[in-house]
Amino acid sequence: MKMRRFVSMLLTGVMALSIAGCGSTSAPASSDAGTDTNATAAATEAPAETTTDTATATTDSGEQIDLTMWCIATESDSNRHAYEAAIADMQAAHPEVNFTWEAFENQSYKTKIKAAVSANELPDIFFTWSCAFLGDFVDAGKVYCLDDAYQNYKDELPEVMLGNTTYNGKHYGVPTTMNIVGLFANMDLLKEAGYDEIPGTYDEFIACCDALKAKGIIPFGCAGKETWCVTEYLESVIEKSAGADTLNDIFLGRATWNNQDVADAVDTFQALVTNGYFDPSGIGLTNDEVKNNFMAGKYAFYMNGTWNCADFAANEEFFPKVRVSEFPVINADKAKLGQLIGGPSDTLAVSASSPNAEKAADYAFELGKLICHYGYLDGCGLPAWTPYGDTSSVNELTKAVAEICSKADTYVLFGDTAMNADSANTYLSYVDQVYGCLLDGKQFIEGLSKDIQ
Amino acid sequence: MESYTLKESKPILKVFVYIFLGIWAIINLFPIYFMFTFSLKSNEEIFGSNIIGLPKHWLWSNFTSAMKTGNMGLYFFNSLLVTTLAIGISLMAALMACYAITRIRWKLSGLANAFFMLGLTIPIQASIVPVYVILSKAHWLNKYSTLIVPYSAFALSMGILICTGFMSEIPMALDEAARIDGCGLFGTFFKIILPLMKPAFSTVGVYSYLQCWNEFMFANVFISDSFHRTLPVGIKALSGAYTTDWGPIGAALVIATFPTLIVYIFLSGKITSSFIAGAVKG
Amino acid sequence: MEEIKNIKKQRRKRDIEKGLAIFVFLLPGLLLFISILIAPIAVSLYRSLYDWNGFSEGTFIGFNNYIELFTNGSIKFITSLKNSLILAFFSVFIQLPLALLLALLLGRGVKREKTFLSIFFMPVLISTVVIGQLWLKIYNPDYGLLNRFLDAVNLGHLKHVWVGDVKTALGSIIVPTVWQYVGYHMLLMYAGVKGVDIDLREAAMLDGATKWQVDKYIIIPIIKPILRVSVIFAVTGSLKTYDLVRILTEGGPFQSTEVPSTLLENMLFLRNRYGMGSTISVMLIILCFAFALLITAAFKEKDD
Repeated sequence: MKMRRFVSMLLTGVMALSIAGCGSTSAPASSDAGTDTNATAAATEAPAETTTDTATATTDSGEQIDLTMWCIATESDSNRHAYEAAIADMQAAHPEVNFTWEAFENQSYKTKIKAAVSANELPDIFFTWSCAFLGDFVDAGKVYCLDDAYQNYKDELPEVMLGNTTYNGKHYGVPTTMNIVGLFANMDLLKEAGYDEIPGTYDEFIACCDALKAKGIIPFGCAGKETWCVTEYLESVIEKSAGADTLNDIFLGRATWNNQDVADAVDTFQALVTNGYFDPSGIGLTNDEVKNNFMAGKYAFYMNGTWNCADFAANEEFFPKVRVSEFPVINADKAKLGQLIGGPSDTLAVSASSPNAEKAADYAFELGKLICHYGYLDGCGLPAWTPYGDTSSVNELTKAVAEICSKADTYVLFGDTAMNADSANTYLSYVDQVYGCLLDGKQFIEGLSKDIQ
Repeated sequence: MESYTLKESKPILKVFVYIFLGIWAIINLFPIYFMFTFSLKSNEEIFGSNIIGLPKHWLWSNFTSAMKTGNMGLYFFNSLLVTTLAIGISLMAALMACYAITRIRWKLSGLANAFFMLGLTIPIQASIVPVYVILSKAHWLNKYSTLIVPYSAFALSMGILICTGFMSEIPMALDEAARIDGCGLFGTFFKIILPLMKPAFSTVGVYSYLQCWNEFMFANVFISDSFHRTLPVGIKALSGAYTTDWGPIGAALVIATFPTLIVYIFLSGKITSSFIAGAVKG
Repeated sequence: MEEIKNIKKQRRKRDIEKGLAIFVFLLPGLLLFISILIAPIAVSLYRSLYDWNGFSEGTFIGFNNYIELFTNGSIKFITSLKNSLILAFFSVFIQLPLALLLALLLGRGVKREKTFLSIFFMPVLISTVVIGQLWLKIYNPDYGLLNRFLDAVNLGHLKHVWVGDVKTALGSIIVPTVWQYVGYHMLLMYAGVKGVDIDLREAAMLDGATKWQVDKYIIIPIIKPILRVSVIFAVTGSLKTYDLVRILTEGGPFQSTEVPSTLLENMLFLRNRYGMGSTISVMLIILCFAFALLITAAFKEKDD
């Protein structure tokens, strides 16, 4: 009973999402039901045919096909187990598919996948980030359109979840999990400073940081060597100061960066840095190192993606100490609770050049569903697909994240995913300089509005 | 040689020379020692009191995890295979080109030499995407040869530079004598020059080894299946997997380093004399 | 008449044979060289004139990429160039003199000469990725050897987040780079020193020259061509440096340690600006050539 309430709660959350589409190529957010049904109706005829085709092809010929997949679920990735389990299930269910897969380290993968796109050497199925990252490949016509295949899965995969991988009204990606930025706290350390709960207002939160500092505990850990970790903090501060819509408009290019609210928010963030709330050695560390420091009790707070729930849950000693919460509201006039950073980003896509694209598309959907299922059970994120089966084993932390999402009002996708590659990197380089206090809020907005057109 | 050394007039100066050499030797050996010891320690020892001492408990299990999880054995073999073949190909191509440039008289030989020397200054990164496109069009990715061919090309210029030094030491009279005996140009090359060039092999080998063994960028982009991965890429992947567990990383570093160091120690005498024989002439 | 014709025929035959031989001998080298190095550079040169993301249609924009490279502050090309030149400076004025000193000392024939030589060459043989990982462990702010050493000798106030501090990041790249390749240049020079005729040394010594004088007036002038090669390698090597920067700092903090090669990779693979990436690679090649010519000219000048 308890479980059902939980699932339905989750679903309401999901349905309430107003995930914006991305970039100029995307259709206006797919919340407009009228146009959607039209499009689906128009498309149903063709897919009906293709599905029967696929069915006959698999049954009567039983012919072996090869499918390859590239992803970033390396040994150290928290999604590794979900991928392994999902792939094992798929291999058992589809003996006619000779499936091979390779995992690469995150940073090298970005290099590889782009080189592969330029050379038309994409594998049949590949992992990608949604929005702009995939958008560039879609623009170049390298990605197979999944509209037909989606018809078979639309009952299990809500269409709102495809918002970030929809370009010109066509679907190109299979989302697996969705994640938001969470404020993780080590309750043992908070208790030392006299707090039993994660403070709910910004003033209390700052008071808590001061109390921690007075006790000699570093409030925040943040990996300066990987700028996206800094954005997890900065974007939350901007969103909770200037409001989700403002930030969304800027990320999607509907408004310029030249916005005084953003400048003030950046100054607020920088005050956190200059007040010494951040670990000074963090600047020379990678995210893995910072995360391990957090688990070892070096920091009170750690703001990062909720995919970390899996790693925290796997650490028996640490897990009882950690709680997750939403970043408090800084300016209640413009922002409110329920405005979150995140959304479905991890995506599987099918290469347009794949000789078996049609089958690969079906395979990608089934595989995505299983990865989502196992990933959810492991705590790697919230499911983009409707959960099924027994989900009572999901860890408390992930359930807490689901609770936060169920009250969600607006989602703003991670800035470096929402923007195109060039702008995203310009943005990251400015964020880097803000973190290093080389620029203040005013210089930040002026520089960005000049360098990003 | 010794007599010359004995003429040293100021013994104090001599002591300073040895102290200087000794200190530099320690600076060179210490990181290797540090790597070796932490490869056998647990985190408690490394992060605790025993950071530079010999391990208290010799944790050979670090090596087992590096071999098993990190697959270092296979990557080592791959690196070895790719490097050896690349050295072989570049050496052969360099010797042949060098022969055509230095031993056969023709108008454009100087130009040809200058052309090859361009390669010394070209950064390997500059050609990565065009080469990738060509290789993929030829369906030539994920093979050992995908790396061997570019590596041989990049080692070629240095090979030619070194071979020129060696080949100019061989008197032209030998060629002429061979010609009179009825040897053609090909015969002269294979029967006379090649055997005399043997000392050059180790010098060229060492320099080519340095270029191929370390290469990371091509290896990362051109090879997408883990079966053909080389050591640098494997180590990068492993260091991601064990960010905070230093032991297995240390073990992987040792596996990547020690075999070549040991081989070098055994061959160093020969390598040095070959270096002296073919000192780069500029 | 007949005879002349015959001779001509024979000569032509020999010429053809010679031409054929030259062709056959050069073929493998040329094939490798042109297909892997020259052709891609031609492609880069062409692509540097385009605004192109690597997979869709590109637009011809002339020299705009080159102009943007120097005018757009967020690209950091100037910074990267400055860093490379600083590295080149340290290579030429710290690494090479050290290498020359070692080569000269060992070349005089000290005891255990071969042992020292082998030890000094060892770092060169270690893969750069390994060196990078190793130095990361030395620089680690919490558990690294360096900071703990400073603590141990009561110099705690000198502790730094070595690779994360703008003041020390570039230095922490320079130190391992210079350290690793001292042996490389030393061996090049040592080979030259050993190649000097021993009688020449002995004669000079008999004339009453000290060892330093012998080194200065006899050995160094003889090995000058080797020094030139070393300087060229040190400078172009600094311009091309990549691996250690990638591993130690990733170009950070705040892009203060970017070098042209890391920028090139960012442009190609992170920013999807293939045209701009090609522009950087063309610039890099031009710079390497320019420095090689400059250094050669400088050495010639000195000779005259």
